[in-house]
Amino acid sequence: MIKQLVGLLAVLAVAALFVALLPLMAPTELGPVTRHYVEQGLVENRGANLVTSIVVNYRGFDTLGEVTVLFLSVSGAGFVLRRREGLVPEPQRRSSELVQTASRVLFAPIVLFGAYIFVHGHLTPGGGFQGGAVIASAVLLLLLADRDRLLPHGFLSVIESFSGFGYVVTGFVGLAATGSFLANRGVIDLGTWNRLFSAGVIPVIYVLIGLKVGSELATLLDTMMHADQAGEGHR
Amino acid sequence: MIFIDLVVCLLAIVSAVWAIIARNLVSAVVLAGVVSLAVSYLFLRLAAPDVAMTEAAIGAGLSTVIFLIAVRRTEEEEKR
Amino acid sequence: MEIRELVGALVTLGGAAFLFLGALGIVRMPDLYNRMQAGTKATTLGNILTLAGLAIYEPAWLPKLLLVVLFVLMTNPVSSHALARAAHRGRVPLSDISVEDALAEAYGETAEPAKEARP
Repeated sequence: MIKQLVGLLAVLAVAALFVALLPLMAPTELGPVTRHYVEQGLVENRGANLVTSIVVNYRGFDTLGEVTVLFLSVSGAGFVLRRREGLVPEPQRRSSELVQTASRVLFAPIVLFGAYIFVHGHLTPGGGFQGGAVIASAVLLLLLADRDRLLPHGFLSVIESFSGFGYVVTGFVGLAATGSFLANRGVIDLGTWNRLFSAGVIPVIYVLIGLKVGSELATLLDTMMHADQAGEGHR
Repeated sequence: MIFIDLVVCLLAIVSAVWAIIARNLVSAVVLAGVVSLAVSYLFLRLAAPDVAMTEAAIGAGLSTVIFLIAVRRTEEEEKR
Repeated sequence: MEIRELVGALVTLGGAAFLFLGALGIVRMPDLYNRMQAGTKATTLGNILTLAGLAIYEPAWLPKLLLVVLFVLMTNPVSSHALARAAHRGRVPLSDISVEDALAEAYGETAEPAKEARP
């Protein structure tokens, strides 16, 4: 009862804070940096999606940190969960044949859709993180339909390491070519606006992020699904 | 259109409060997923499709499932 | 208003009617399994009709809508199948007027345990 009251009070307090802060949220003048992004972003990067060119190019270094945080949390989960032994796996019936077949049929289209999202990250909404999450959901479908399935961890960690490595290498290529980390102009030809091969290194980086996020989340799901089976999920 | 927005706002708030006071952990997790889904619609209406996609895929999809797996794994040890 | 747009709007309206019937079935049906079949069959057809109406209304979207229809056709029945089986496995009771439990017989159980509510 006390817990519910505290919860309700917390929600009410946040609501009151929100109402108090509402007048401060009126649109104001753009700062100089923001105005540069809005006005020059399309010209400098030639990406149709301005959000992507901010996330991957202007703020690319922060995104590298974000990807590192994800990597650390996934490896932390793997480290904590792998030693959990001694729990008896509950007896469970296998999924019906319909579910297993459908999951195998649907796996490829969902992965394809995730790849579509991150390949077109510089043109349409979405990008590496969203596409990676979609790919991980395809893997989740496989794991839910067939509990005994073990993912190829070696393959996943190779993809994960290479994409992270490629991200940093792209940054250093920019550093070598133009003198700033993750530079876009002067590295690859920027191409025509609103085409698949445009916006320089942005699609390259987003494909790498998509592969990295997808393999990391797939590894996390596999670790959690098989956590209590006496470390069987970890080779 | 604004009516739908208000209904979705209300859905998000009610689900959030309900998720806090729910006794059953599985219901709380599912309600948190509902909050994510409603909020992703609101992001879409606020012209932020990138954020909406992230919220729908990660908030409503993956993290709900991860919480559900975690609840199933831990409920042998913690009986409420 | 072209005749094509009118036809598209009417087909979409038909889809909406099926979706409404599905929602009505979810409210009115006696037990979980009956509700689930109302919520699956009616919404699958309603979705497809709505998307077909949209395709007639805007023929340029036809390829994408076709993909969406294929996806709905593959996922919707399978997900409700999985949900219904999970409910049956979790001993969700049948309604009182149900006369047969073919899945329990297929598992080699009597129909009785599924009928009584779990304490």
